[in-house]
Amino acid sequence: MRKIATFVIAIICVVLFYFTFDSAFDVYRANWQLPKESDQESLDNRLVLITQELDTPFWDKVSAGARKQAEKEGATIEIWGSYGNNQENFLEQIELAIYSKMDGIIVQGLDTDEFKELTKVKAASYGIPIITVANDVPSAESLRKTYVGSNQYLAGELIAEQLIADMGASGEVILMLDSKQEFYQKQRLKGIQDYLKDYPNIEMIEATTEDAGEHGIALTKDLLNRYPNVDAFIAVNSNFTEDIIEEIERRSKVIPYHIYSFDDNRASLSLLKQGKLDGMIEQSPQKMGERSVKLMMEWLNNDTVPLNLDGYLTDIRMVKATDLQ
Amino acid sequence: MNIQKKIWLLAVVVLLIMATIWMSLTFYNQKMQDQYNNILERYLVMNELTSTSQQMVTALNNYLLIPVAENLETIDNSKMQIQEMKEEVADFKNTENELALTSYINLIDSLIETTDRSLVFHSEAGTENARRALNEATYISNYISEMTLTLIDTELKTYDRFYRGIINQSEELNQLGIWVLLLITFLLLLYTYWFSLRITKPVEQLTRAASELSKGRFDLKIEVDSKDEIAFLGKMFEHMRNNINNLISEIQQKAQLENELQQSKLLLKESQLRSLQSQINPHFLFNTLNTVSKKAYLEGSEETSDLLVSVAGLLRYNLKHLDKSMTLYDEVNVLKQYINIQKARFTDRLTFHTEIDQTCLHIEIPGLTLQPIVENAMIHAIEPNEDGGVIWFRVKDEGDRVTVEVEDDGPGMPKDKIQQIIDEEQQHDTMAGHASGIGLSNVVKRLRLFNGCEDVIKIEGNKGNGTKVILHIFKERGVDRDDKVTTG
Repeated sequence: MRKIATFVIAIICVVLFYFTFDSAFDVYRANWQLPKESDQESLDNRLVLITQELDTPFWDKVSAGARKQAEKEGATIEIWGSYGNNQENFLEQIELAIYSKMDGIIVQGLDTDEFKELTKVKAASYGIPIITVANDVPSAESLRKTYVGSNQYLAGELIAEQLIADMGASGEVILMLDSKQEFYQKQRLKGIQDYLKDYPNIEMIEATTEDAGEHGIALTKDLLNRYPNVDAFIAVNSNFTEDIIEEIERRSKVIPYHIYSFDDNRASLSLLKQGKLDGMIEQSPQKMGERSVKLMMEWLNNDTVPLNLDGYLTDIRMVKATDLQ
Repeated sequence: MNIQKKIWLLAVVVLLIMATIWMSLTFYNQKMQDQYNNILERYLVMNELTSTSQQMVTALNNYLLIPVAENLETIDNSKMQIQEMKEEVADFKNTENELALTSYINLIDSLIETTDRSLVFHSEAGTENARRALNEATYISNYISEMTLTLIDTELKTYDRFYRGIINQSEELNQLGIWVLLLITFLLLLYTYWFSLRITKPVEQLTRAASELSKGRFDLKIEVDSKDEIAFLGKMFEHMRNNINNLISEIQQKAQLENELQQSKLLLKESQLRSLQSQINPHFLFNTLNTVSKKAYLEGSEETSDLLVSVAGLLRYNLKHLDKSMTLYDEVNVLKQYINIQKARFTDRLTFHTEIDQTCLHIEIPGLTLQPIVENAMIHAIEPNEDGGVIWFRVKDEGDRVTVEVEDDGPGMPKDKIQQIIDEEQQHDTMAGHASGIGLSNVVKRLRLFNGCEDVIKIEGNKGNGTKVILHIFKERGVDRDDKVTTG
């Protein structure tokens, strides 16, 4: 009896000791994970990439490239921007970046007066270099240091070339544009127009509307009514791609139409894979990101002064639906 | 270790444990409090910064409208406050918010610059430019408040793990508290049990020993297995038990001795009785003598009858009065009867003269003192002499004492013999001849005890000139008479 009692007491003791020490160690181990103290006195090379279209596959790639390059260069980069072409917000971001005295601003060009005012006056007065990426604004108007991105004129030409190859030398082509008439859009249009000039049998119909979405659909509806014999669509502003295809699908098959677009819209690639889009200009967003950061660092480190004002062009190529299938 | 020390030890141990727990809890609380304060301060400082920047812009606006020194002062104050807070905010920098924080600080700088610019323009009377700068400052101020929100949002995200860590830890601390409480309770119970056992067990042993002792069992050894005061008590108890044991055995020994003594006495008495029984009963002899005397008287032999009466009287006196004090008168009477008997024996050879002062006869004297002395004279002076002898017996009053003289004309007593008698040495050779069986030395002893002084007898004797024994009996006795002394 006595032995049993002693045994039980010993067991209770051991159990209690075990749990007590276990929880004591738990308490001791549970450290509060405070964020690491910053080791740098002040940050150098604070870069910011600002875009109107956050979270699109195209801009995600640009961001990824930029981040990669920034890490390589020892710079810190933040990706700011607005969603869904919210210009007001986008401009505010730029202003904020200027007031925050960023060391460099890499920005998606926006061909508006407000944008130019900001880059030309504010950024210059704060001494902040600006590099436009993907979409350009002429240097004379924006005082940008350089442009990194595709040659939009060439892209237009490439699309026109493909159109001729697919459609032949005669037919009706609708060019979908938005009313803002941004610089890159103009370039593309110019490229297309210049190429198609040599083909008199091709009729170009330029259609303009405010915005993609409802307006785009309405415009497409109207165009289809007015030009029932249309052969091809080119979404010069790639945001119209979805609208065009959606509206055509409502009436008939998509296949007979030749539809071309650019890759800077989120839907473009999937539509191309489905075969609804006949061709798409593929740009090199990753490259743009990398390149822009690299050039910005070169500017900041005074390695390459001045930068080429005409811009640094990245590769573009035509991707056809038939290539993917 | 004694009981007090044990209790102290227990108290100290408990106190130490409690102090440790209390201290660690306090330390932890303090740490947590600091963190909370830190976090709260971040938010407060950022918030204040925002409001102060807005205040500054408002003040700037007021100043541009009404350019008085008071407004300017407000702007300067706000600016200073903003600068100070900017320093504080700069300390909040960590890896996760450094970019945003740098932007934030730069924004503040921009605000101050813009404000300054506005003031400069104002002083140079460029009101339009000053207005424009004010607008810009308003924008920047708005950006600052937006940025503050963003920063706080970032902070919340960044510190999410930290907050969860704190919550987890306090939960774990609670758990630890419960376990520690359980453990301490258990250990204390255990210790208390052991401790109380250490005290009560020896007491129990002692109690048992005491009850055994009270039942009278002194042979069980008292053992107390502890080292405290109880052990001391037990040791003392054991000591006491030993002492009692020793005393008891001593008493038993004594009792045994006494018993043996008693038995030997009884044996002695018995043997004495036997020896007495072996003799003829003196009373029977006395009665027989009386009967024989009456018979002789009836048969006409009056002389024989008188003699027999004297013998009987002497015998009766001997039997009755050996252990009592008598008057001198009684003694003289017995002496006369003795002489009568001796006269019958020695006839003309004995001449006995008496000179007795009758006034002295009432004095008390130990029984059978005179007869042995006269008998002694009879043996030494009359018996050996064919022609017989003379014995003088005188009783004289000498003031404080009565002197009794017995004188004979015998051959006299040698000096050493006299000395022997004075020194109360036993005289075995002479004792046999005495009628009462009492020797001279016995008489001397009794007389001395009776009078309470040594100077009671004087013997004068010269070779050939007879012996004279002089007894002194004091009228006032020095010492109270004691029965035992006279019999001894």
